[in-house]
Formats: sequence, C-alpha cells, structure tokens
Amino acid sequence: MIHRRYNTLTKLSAMLGLIALTSSASSVANVNCENTKSQPGTQRQYSETWGTSYNGDRHQSSSNTSINSENAQQLKLQWVYGFSTQTPRSYPLVTEDTIFIGDGGYGLVALDKETGCTRWENTDITDIESAIVAEEVDGNTVLIFTGRRSGVYAVDAKNGKQLWFSNPKVHPVPMYSGSPMAYQNKVFVPISSMEIALSFNPFYGCCTTSGGMMALDIRTGEKLWYTPTVENPGSIVTGKHFFLIEKRGPSGAPVWSAPALDIKRNLLYFGSGENYSEPATLTSDAIFAIDAETGEVAWVKQYTANDTYNMACEISADHPNCPSKSGPDLDFGAPPVLSTLKNGKDLIIAGQKSGAVFGIDPDTGETVWSTQFGRGGKLGGVHWGIAVNPELEQAYVPISDLPTSDLPVGENDAPPGPGLYAISSADGSTQWSVTLEKNCEGHSCWPGFSAAITSGPNIIVAGTLDGHLKIYRGTDGKLLWSHNTVVNMETVNQVPAKGGTLDAHGPMLAGNQLIVSSGYGSFGQWGGNALLVFSVEKKVVH
Amino acid sequence: MIQPSMLASRFRRFVATIIDLILTPLLGLLVMLLTGLFESAEAYSSFSTIGIRALTIGVIAYAVLNGWLLHTRGQTVGKAMLGLVIVDNTSGKKASLWKLLLIRMWFFPSLLLLGITPYAIVPFIDHAMIFTPSRRCLHDRICGTSVIKMS
Repeated sequence: MIHRRYNTLTKLSAMLGLIALTSSASSVANVNCENTKSQPGTQRQYSETWGTSYNGDRHQSSSNTSINSENAQQLKLQWVYGFSTQTPRSYPLVTEDTIFIGDGGYGLVALDKETGCTRWENTDITDIESAIVAEEVDGNTVLIFTGRRSGVYAVDAKNGKQLWFSNPKVHPVPMYSGSPMAYQNKVFVPISSMEIALSFNPFYGCCTTSGGMMALDIRTGEKLWYTPTVENPGSIVTGKHFFLIEKRGPSGAPVWSAPALDIKRNLLYFGSGENYSEPATLTSDAIFAIDAETGEVAWVKQYTANDTYNMACEISADHPNCPSKSGPDLDFGAPPVLSTLKNGKDLIIAGQKSGAVFGIDPDTGETVWSTQFGRGGKLGGVHWGIAVNPELEQAYVPISDLPTSDLPVGENDAPPGPGLYAISSADGSTQWSVTLEKNCEGHSCWPGFSAAITSGPNIIVAGTLDGHLKIYRGTDGKLLWSHNTVVNMETVNQVPAKGGTLDAHGPMLAGNQLIVSSGYGSFGQWGGNALLVFSVEKKVVH
Repeated sequence: MIQPSMLASRFRRFVATIIDLILTPLLGLLVMLLTGLFESAEAYSSFSTIGIRALTIGVIAYAVLNGWLLHTRGQTVGKAMLGLVIVDNTSGKKASLWKLLLIRMWFFPSLLLLGITPYAIVPFIDHAMIFTPSRRCLHDRICGTSVIKMS
C-alpha cells in the first residue's frame, strides 16, 4: 500500500476541515488501509470506453451491473474519496477489485474498490481530465488517458508506471479534453484547441487551428493518422484589428467528446463543435464518420450551419476576436451512439446542445428522424451524453437548459425544459418524460441534467446541476432513488470533501456499485471534490 | 558617501514604483501589438515559450520607457516624477547604465526563467528590505546602488 504524503499545510487544512464537519456530513466507516494490496486485478473490466461499450451507448447490461429497478432503493453510500480539485473531471475504469481515476492536479490513483484505499498512485501526471480506458498489450493491461494540455499517456495498470507519452502537436495548441478510445492496436484521440480561450486576448489573431481525430500506435504512442475537421485552417485572412493583427479562418470544429466505434463497418463516429472564426465551414456542429483504419472521411452531416463563436464573445460582442455573427455555439458535446434496433437495423443516435436529438443512418449519414426538447443553449440542451438501452429500444435524453446570459439562442425561443426524456430508438417518439423544477436560489441552483447519464437494467442514473443523483425506472420514468451530494463528507483518504454540481462525465455502474464524482466549479457552478461510491448488497456478477 | 538624510522616503519610492508598474505594461501592450509576439498560436505552444515572449516584451517596454532616462539621469519615469534618482552607493554619482539595465532589469525576471522554485518569495524579500536603515532593497544591494532625493 502506498501512503499519501501530505505537506504540513494540507495536514492542517485536513484537520480543520474534519473539525468543521457539520451534522449534515455523510458518514462512512473509518477504514484501515494498511493491508491493501498494491497490485490491482485487471482480469475483469466493467467498461470498454467512456461510452461503456465501443458503440458508446452508456448502457450496462445485467452482466455488468447488479443494480436494477428492483434494488436501486437499497443503494447506500459505501465510501468517499476526496479529490484535490474542486472540478474533478476524470471518468473511472473499474475492474474486479480496483477503481482507476484521475485526481485533478494530484495524479492518477488506483483505489481498492471495496474500501477506497490507495493501491498505487502516479503523481507525475497532473492534468488528467478524461476517462481511463484499458487495452491488453502483449499480455499486459495498459491504461490509456489524456492530460488536458499535456498529451496522451499509457501506464502499466499493475503499478502505474508510465509506458509512453505522446503529444504529436498536430497544431500548436492542442487540447486533449475528449476521452480517448483504445481498440486493438490503436488509440483514438479527440483533438480540441486552446484557441477557444486564447481568443480572449485582443492582441491574438483568432484563429488558425482545427479540431480533429487522431490515431496513435498503442505500443509506442506514435501518430498513425490525423483527420482535421477543418481543411486548411487559418488559411484565409478575414480582416485586421488594431491596424496590424490579422483575423484568420476557417478554424475550430473541436472534438471534445469520445468517439463511438462501429466494428462491423470499421467506422469511427464523433461529433464536432462550432467554428471559432469566420468563414464558417460545412463541418462544424456535425457528426463525422471516418475510416478507423485510415482516418479517411466517409461522410459528414452538419446540423447547425454558420455557427461561429469563441470565448471573446463572453467579454463582449464587440471584442475584436468575436465573430460578427456570434453563436449560437451548438456543439455535439455528447458522443453519437451506435444502436442496433430489434429489427436488426443499425442507427446512430446523437444529441446536440440545441436540445435536438437525431436518428442517423450509419451507412449514408442521412437523418432518419429528429426531435427537439427544451430550448437548448451554450451549455446544453444535450450537453455531455445520452444513454441508449437496447433491451428496451429506448434512448434517454438529459436536458440541461441552464440559462446563460444571452439565451434564448438562435431562433429557438422555447421555454427551458430541464429534465429527462425517454424516446423510442427506432423513431424518436417520446415515451415518457420527467421535467424538473428549480427548488433553490442562485445561478448555480438549476435542476437540469448537464452531465452524461448512464443506463442499466430498466434504470437510468442521472445527476442534476444542483447536485442530486437520481435513478429513474426505464419503463415509465418513476423516480426510484435520489441522493443529495451537496454535503460535507468524511473520506477514506482523510481529505475533507464536499459535493457540488454534478456535471461532465456523470455516473458509472459497475458490478454492485454506482460511482460518481461530485463538484464542477466551471461556469460559476458549485465546486466539489467528492468521489462517491454507492453499493447494493453484493451479488456475484459474471 | 550617502548620508541618511539624502535617502528617498519609502512612500515616494512606493509611489514611483507604482507609476512604473502601470506605465511599463501599458507600453508592453503597444510592444505586443507591434512585434506580434502574442498574435499567433505558436506563442502559446508551451509555458516556456509564453514566458520567454512575455519577458522579452517586458524588457523591451521597460527599456524603451526608461532607457534614455536611466542612461542620462539615473531615473525611471516614476522616479523622475517623484524627484528621485538612482546613484552608486559608494560614490554617490549616477550609477552605471550596465548595472541599471543588465542587473536591475534582467536579474529578477531571469530567475523566473531559470525555474528557481522559491522565486515567488524573492520579490517580497526584495521589497521588505526597504525597511532596513539604508532603505536599500535587494536589487539595490546587488547593483551597489541607492535611491536618493534629487538635490
């Protein structure tokens, strides 16, 4: 077992925090970690990708989780781990006895699944914000993940030692905010760009970089191919400001979400975001299908045209780097899902920040059906991820509709509709819906579902922006269980923890456990630093 | 020899520093615009690239703003406005330009580039030393200078 070494200040703050714990604190038993084995088991992995399976459906069948509509009410908090950040943004990999997860600026940790005790830690990698995925390479289990600014990492699951690091710099300022996918001999890596934020600087000539998808060799990290979403980025000078600074385009169309893999067609599907600068392209706010072997584009389907936006527009529409037509910033932040219907036909289901959901033919990219929920906006609409239950042939659509300064966006002036919507995967028809009411005050208090959701046997697990983790029944949307995470918590690692906004990657179902990170300090929301692990009575899951 | 009565008051030195701290970045913006050092994505490709370019802009702005005054009168703009002058601590005469430019202007930013971890505390030590009887900050001692009132 590895003992975390704290500096004096951390120890002092930990002691003060413990003293300050109020009666609202969630209580978990003190754990003796001394006998924790350092080597994790890696025979059984409960997810293949961020999207749980390669098709990205965020669904766990009964072979992967024992939590269902019959026992969800029995979920109890098992243990809590305190992160070092108020905006935890890593998604775990769970094996038969270990949870691997990135701990903010601290590093990568391997935690005993039953106790939360640390098996090993790698504190050299301090900007992990993606899912941890794994693949067997030459008989060893290799963990793959990205550092937001630094690049792509491969570490040995046995001991956390780094095997390789890769930052091919397909452009000068890549941002690795999307989760990678490891499949056989390749790692697929989404590429975004820091230019979205660099545009803040009025002395910056926005913008010259493109989003994209990259494939690396899983043994070495060497780049195999790179497919940008914008051709010839920055090749056109569109104007000048302050007499000297050249505005450039086209640019943007970042990819900040995980891809989905169609093994049968050997295609990789992913969504893109808005253009950062003019001229707009036909590839922003679009769904891409590319050849997984070569990166060659099979088809692109755009759903919002002429969407140009960057962070300069948050300062003022008159900022020299804000495009003349700003927004509406309607990315596909939620990855597309490849779903097989009961009639054997495949369909891609994709949700957009606009609040629209589309059924798409995977062979042609043509839209088969579409439907709209709520009003959408910069922070969703559908923000981080939908889930699809193939057994019920249902897709579950979480809607955030968090108000932002300049909503309504575009021509959609519908009222906000934060909630959860169950639709038929086959035709998009609504089967049931749950709308949520605001029950507290302040900007951060919003009941919408921004975080990605996950589904299990007749259940949907979803976290609200106001910090409540909820489980609904798949067949009718009945609320089965709810837990308020915005409380102080005692933690296994003795770091004082409090929950906050539930956002980003969302919950995970694995075996008899439900795992979620609480706290998300971005966009003025509630920070928090808790990794909560709930469980139902243990039952053998094969 | 510098007599205690000749030394600049701490308040005047503080105000002069504030004036320089406002004027130098303002001119730095103009330098940034003219040089284009922060105009492209390449400028932000690594923390060291950002640091080197920021340092370069700061040094150019400082030199353009104060170089001539330092050379001819041993003053920055702020010190000139407050009637202060930098002199050699032993002779009491105008300090050498190379000391003023190469040491005062480069030494402390260079520490940052060298990645010396306790760098953050250096400015505090530097400025805290104004409260010694000689009112000489760390950078004064390294350069062998004092700041006095203009006679």
